[in-house]
Amino acid sequence: MDASLPVAITNYIGLSAVIFFIGVGGVLLRRNPLIMLMSIELMWNAANLLFLSFAKMWLNNAGHIFAFLVITVAAAEAAIGLAIVVIVFRTARNVDVDEVALMKG
Amino acid sequence: MILFWILGVVLVASAMWVVTAKKPIYSVVGLLAHFAALAIFYFSLSAEFLAVIQIIVYSGAILILFLFVIALLSSGTAAFATGPNKMPRAAIPAALVVLIALVFLVYGVSRTAFTAHAITVSATSAAGAVGTANVFGSVDDFGKALFTTNLLPFEITAFILMVAVIGVVLLAGDATPYVATKRRARAVERDMRDAILRAGEE
Amino acid sequence: MGVDGSYPMLFLIWLLPLAGAIACWTFGPQLKRNAGWLGSAAILIAFVATLLSWGAAQQNGGQTVGAHQALFSWLPGFDFGLLLDPLSLIWVLIITGVGFLIHLYSIGYMYTDNAIARFFAYMNFFVFAMLTLVLSDNFVGLLIGWGLVGLASYFLIGFWFFKPSAVAAARKAFVINVVGDVGIMFAVFVLFAKVGSVGFGDVFANVQNLGGWLIVVCVALFIGAAAKSAQIPLHTWLPDAMEGPTPVSALIHAATMVTAGVYLIARCWPLWNGSADAQLLVGTIGGLTALLGALLGIAQWDIKRILAYSTMSQIGYMIMGVGVGAYEAGVAHFFTHAFFKACLFLGSGVIIHELSDEQDIRRMGGLRKRMPFAFWCMLAAVLAICGIPGFAGFYSKDRVIYGALQHGHPWLYAVGIVTAGITAYYMFRLFFVTFLGEYRGKVDPSLLGMQPGEREPHAAHAEHPPVWIMNVPVGILAVFSVIGGYLLIGGENSPWAKFFATTFAPELVVTPAIGEGLTTAVVLICVVAGILVAYSRYATKAALGDAVVRLQRESVRLPAVLVNRYYFDDAIEWVFVRTSQLFGMLFGRVLDPHVIDGAVRETVISSRWLGALVRSFQTGLVRAYALVVVFGAACFIVYYALIGGVAK
Repeated sequence: MDASLPVAITNYIGLSAVIFFIGVGGVLLRRNPLIMLMSIELMWNAANLLFLSFAKMWLNNAGHIFAFLVITVAAAEAAIGLAIVVIVFRTARNVDVDEVALMKG
Repeated sequence: MILFWILGVVLVASAMWVVTAKKPIYSVVGLLAHFAALAIFYFSLSAEFLAVIQIIVYSGAILILFLFVIALLSSGTAAFATGPNKMPRAAIPAALVVLIALVFLVYGVSRTAFTAHAITVSATSAAGAVGTANVFGSVDDFGKALFTTNLLPFEITAFILMVAVIGVVLLAGDATPYVATKRRARAVERDMRDAILRAGEE
Repeated sequence: MGVDGSYPMLFLIWLLPLAGAIACWTFGPQLKRNAGWLGSAAILIAFVATLLSWGAAQQNGGQTVGAHQALFSWLPGFDFGLLLDPLSLIWVLIITGVGFLIHLYSIGYMYTDNAIARFFAYMNFFVFAMLTLVLSDNFVGLLIGWGLVGLASYFLIGFWFFKPSAVAAARKAFVINVVGDVGIMFAVFVLFAKVGSVGFGDVFANVQNLGGWLIVVCVALFIGAAAKSAQIPLHTWLPDAMEGPTPVSALIHAATMVTAGVYLIARCWPLWNGSADAQLLVGTIGGLTALLGALLGIAQWDIKRILAYSTMSQIGYMIMGVGVGAYEAGVAHFFTHAFFKACLFLGSGVIIHELSDEQDIRRMGGLRKRMPFAFWCMLAAVLAICGIPGFAGFYSKDRVIYGALQHGHPWLYAVGIVTAGITAYYMFRLFFVTFLGEYRGKVDPSLLGMQPGEREPHAAHAEHPPVWIMNVPVGILAVFSVIGGYLLIGGENSPWAKFFATTFAPELVVTPAIGEGLTTAVVLICVVAGILVAYSRYATKAALGDAVVRLQRESVRLPAVLVNRYYFDDAIEWVFVRTSQLFGMLFGRVLDPHVIDGAVRETVISSRWLGALVRSFQTGLVRAYALVVVFGAACFIVYYALIGGVAK
C-alpha cells in the first residue's frame, strides 16, 4: 500500500463509484430538472474526488489542476443548465422534463 | 482511516438524500452537506486550495444559484413533476444492463486493484513531478503548477467561463428578442412604438 | 506535331464565309434580298483568294507540300492548323467556285422567298463548314467540319420547315450522318491511341505502327465516308434530301458535301495503300453503289430524284476510284462531276422554277422550244455525265474505270462499264422526256400514271427575278462541263497528273491485258447503246406521238423492286426502327415501371420504414437520452474491466 494514503486506493475508487452512480440514478429517475442538475453535480464531484485521490497517491499535483478545471466546467454547466430551466419554465410553465419533449421525432 | 470511513458514510448518505428528496430545496440542503464533507475530504488528501475552492465555488456560488432558481420557479403556481412518467419500458432492461456493468466494474477493479504495479510506478513518477513531496498540495505548490506549467489550460478556463456568461445572458438575460443589426433594432423599436400608440388610441 | 508555317491568306479563305453567314443572319431583316449579294461576294472573295494561293499550295516545303497556317495547340498531339495542299486546293476551288455560282443562282431562285437572308446565312455557313473540313490539317478538325456540314445540311434540307416531308428528310439525313460521324470518331480514337497524335502528317508517317488496327481504322473511316457520300447501305437519306431548295441540292447534295467521303479517302490514302482488304471493301461498295444507284435512276419520275440517284451513282464511281487506289482518277471525277452535276441541278431548277415548282418529268415535255438556253446547257451536262468524248465526264470516268483494272479489280472494271451504259440510258431518258415532244403539263395526272398522292404543283409565282441571274451560272457551269476535263488529256503527262505528282505516292500498278484505247472503245459502245435504247423508247416519232400512253404504261409496269428502292427503307424500318420501338416498349412498359420505378418505390418504402424505426428512438425525453449515454459508458466500463482483468 502507498504510504501517502490512509487507506487503500481501491476504497477511494469504490467510494467515488458509489457517489457517481447515485448521481446517475438521480438523473435517470428524477423528473425534476433541478434535482437532475444537482445529481450531475454529484457526478462531477465523484470524479474530482478520484482525481485528488490519485494525485495524493502519485504525489503529483496534475490531478489538482484537473480538479480545478472540472470545477470551472461544472460551474459553467450549472449556470447554463439553470438558465435553460428558467427559459423552459417561462415558455412551458412546467418543470417536468417528461412534458418538455419538443425534440420527439 | 477512521476519518475516511466516517466521511465516506456522510458522503454516500448525503448523496442519497439529494437524489431521493421530495422537494429540490431539501436536495440543496443535502448537497450542502455533501460539499462540506467533500471539502474536509480534500483536506485529508492534502488538497488545501481545492478544499477552499470547493466551499467557495460550490457551496458559495453554485448552490446559491440553485436556490435562486428554486425561489424563482416556486413563485409560480406550477408544481414540479406532476405529469405521468414517460420513460419508455425499454429503460428497465437497459438499467439492468447498467447494473450488470457495475458488477463487472467492481469485479475488474478488485482484480487489478492497483497493487504492486501501481506502487512501483508511483515512486518514479513522483520524483519528476512539479510539486515536491514535502509541500504537496499546498497553495504555493498548486499556484506554481497552475501559473507556470498549466498556464494555457488556466487561460482556457477563463474562456470557458466567459462563454458560459454570454450564453446565460443570451438565454435567460432578457425577454426582448435578440436583434442582430442596428437596422433591425430600429425596426423593432418602431414596431413597439406603433403598438403603444395604437394601444393609446384604443 | 503540326507543320510550322504561316500563310494568313488561309484565314481569309476560311473565315470570310463565316463572316458572311453571321452578317446575313444578324442583319437579315435590313439586308433582305441584298443578303444574296453579300453572301455571294463573301464566297467570291474566298474563291479569288484561293486562286491567288495556287502557287502556295504547290510549294514543296521538304517533307510537306502546300501552305500551312498553325492555329493553336491544345494537348500534346492535338495541334490544330489549316493546310492547303493540292488535294485541298481542288476541293476549296470547287467549294468556293461552284459555290459562288450557285449562290449567284440562288439570288434568282430564292427571289420570292421571304426567308432569303436566312437561306444565305445557311449557305455561307455551309461553305465555312466545308472549308473547315477540307482545310483542316488534322483528324479532329476534319471531324469538326464533318459535323458542321452535317448540321448545315440539316438546316438547308429542312429550310422549308413548314413542309413535314422536308423536316422528316432533314432529320433522316442528320441521323444517318451521325452514324457516320460515330465511325470517324471511333477511327480518331484508335489513331490517337496508337499514334499519339491526330495530325495528318504524324498519322501517315506512322501507318506501320497501326498493325492489325489499320483495317479497323479504314472501315471506321469508311463508315463515315459512306454515310456522308450516300454509299450503300447508308444512302437512303440522299434522295429524300431533295426536299430542300434546288440550289441546296446542287451545292450540298451533288457538288460538295456528298463528295466529302471521297475527300476523306483521298486524304487518308496512305492508310488505304497499306490495307488491300480495305481497298477491296471500299472499291466493292463504290462499284455496287454506282450500279444500284444507276438502276434506281431508271425508275424515277421526279427530276431531282433522278439526279439524286445519278449523284449517288457517280459518287460510287469516285469512291470506287479512290478505293481501289486510283486516287487521282477519283478526285478527277469529283472535279468534273461538280461542274456537270451542278449544271444539271441548276438547269432542272430553272425548269422547276419556270413550271411553278413542277418536278415530275411526266408533266413536262416539249420544253426545248420554251427554254432553249436550259436545253443546250442541260445537253452539255448530260453528254458530260454520259462520257461522250470531248465532254468533261469522258476523261475522268474512263480514268476511274481503267484505274480499277490497273489496280487489279477486273470485276469492278466490268461494273464500271455496265454502269456507264445505264447512266447514258437514264440520263437521256430524263433529257428526252423533259425536252422533246409536246408539253404535258395540262394533261390529267392520272392519265400519266401518277398516283393521287404524288406531288401537285404549287400556285404560280407572282413575280419573277431577272432571268440572267439564273442563266449565267448555268451557262458557266455548262462551259466547264465541256472544258473541265481537258486538264486530264495526256494520261501520265497531263496537267492533272503533274498537279498531283507530289500528293499521291505512285503505287504498284498492274499492266492490264486490255489497253486504255480498247477500254475507251468498250465504254463508248455501252454508252451509245444506252443512248440508243433511250432514243428508241422516248425520242422516236412514234414514241413522241403517243407519249402520254407510253408513259402511263411505263409508270404501271416499273419493277416493284426499283420503285421501292430495293426495299432499303423498309429494311431499315424493320431492322432498326421496329426493333428500337420494341425495345422502347420493353423498357417503357416493363422495365421502367416495374424494375426502375419499382426500385425507387421500394427504396422510398424501406427508407420510410427505417426512418420510422430510428424515429422511435427519438423520444424527446432527456432522461432517455441520458440512459443511452449511461449505457454507452457502461459498455466502455465493461470493455476496460475485461481488458484490465485479462491482459494485465
